Amino acid sequence: MLGKKKKIPKKYIVIGIIILIIIILIILSFSLKKDKKMNPIFSFIRDGVLSVEKFVSYPFIFVKNKVNDYNDLMDVKKDNDILKTSIDRIDSVETENVELRRQLEALKSELNIDYTLSDYEYLNGTVISRNVGYWFNTITIDKGSYSGVEKDMVVINAKGLIGKVIRTTTFTSDVRLITTSDTNNKISVSVSNGGDNLYGLINSFDYGNNYLEVEGISNTKNVSIGNKVYTSGLGGIFPSGILIGEVSDITTDSYDLAKLIKVRPSVDFNDINYVSVLKRKGVNNDN
Amino acid sequence: MIISIVYLAISLIMEVIMSNFFPSTLTNVSLFTTIYTIVGLAILYPHFNNDRKFYLLTILCGFLFGILYTSTFIFSLVLFGCVGIMIKILYNIFPENIFMTNLISFICIMTYHILCFILLSIFSSISYYFISLINILIGSIIMTIVYTTISYYIINYIFNRFGIKYIK
Repeated sequence: MLGKKKKIPKKYIVIGIIILIIIILIILSFSLKKDKKMNPIFSFIRDGVLSVEKFVSYPFIFVKNKVNDYNDLMDVKKDNDILKTSIDRIDSVETENVELRRQLEALKSELNIDYTLSDYEYLNGTVISRNVGYWFNTITIDKGSYSGVEKDMVVINAKGLIGKVIRTTTFTSDVRLITTSDTNNKISVSVSNGGDNLYGLINSFDYGNNYLEVEGISNTKNVSIGNKVYTSGLGGIFPSGILIGEVSDITTDSYDLAKLIKVRPSVDFNDINYVSVLKRKGVNNDN
Repeated sequence: MIISIVYLAISLIMEVIMSNFFPSTLTNVSLFTTIYTIVGLAILYPHFNNDRKFYLLTILCGFLFGILYTSTFIFSLVLFGCVGIMIKILYNIFPENIFMTNLISFICIMTYHILCFILLSIFSSISYYFISLINILIGSIIMTIVYTTISYYIINYIFNRFGIKYIK
């Protein structure tokens, strides 16, 4: 009788399990909180291990780049012909550029516009890790707070908008891609239809057909397939004038009041190797 | 134990190396992706005679995976914990051979992605679509089989070569 363990009633076990599940769910929701800053110790571990990984993966990436270079070399004759015609035009473009810059400065001071793309400097980085585990839709680049990268900075490449920085450690940053359907962070865009700029919001991303869905453009305005879509600069995070993609399909909403536009992104998100982080001039110039 | 740690470290590094060769996003899922660390755990489980050590290693892998790749270490820790339990249950049901190890690896990858999908849909502000889950699961089949098969033979060869019966 002495050695016999006291049996815990079943209802207490059930209550215990329910409490445990609730605690786990609370911890999970807290751990997934978007703005949570990374602990300095974890940040140190992450920087250290990712540096080792960068070193180990370097030969593989080197081989991959050489293969890509060889493929590019095959097209060099064609590219050369195109460039030769561009060089003939470069003097006139340069002169035009100086004049446009002068006009832009004059208009900015007249309209009291704070920031445009020309007020940013470009910090170039390399992608060191891509969306491992899929669900977070992020890439990791090799520039962090040491280089002046901060949360919410915009990341682009030569083809257009990629996303924004969501987290930084000392030597790395996580960039969330614009293909993430984040209901809390819609991007304001403008559709250029030649004469007017029509403003809308990126509502979501269609994973099946690979296009961004833009809503909020009045049905009375004209939009054509092939029109370019840029960031509008409204909302404060993304400066205006960054290419997002082009219109590939136009429908209307169920009330026939607004257009629903499908935009094919200009960036191939599976082929991002080098990126530029936009830093406002004068914020941090240590790189 | 050293062999298992080295193998899991290689599996963790493989995540980054292979993501460079077969880049993949939610919008464009590659047919050659898997979670190498989870496959590694599924391969190593039969060589443990101490479950506590296996769970310790699983938690450590989840922690590192979270810090390095998802920046959500508690979330990854819980998911890897669940996958660890799943591995134990599956090895109690199925016999250990190359075919069953492949099946177990794939079920574990499925478990990870399904749990991710459910929990992230509940707790994050990002909208996820069921089609993404299906695409990811389909995209995981080939590489899971390839990595499991190669790892199975290599790990068994190493254990036989050095006469190791169990991981101490």
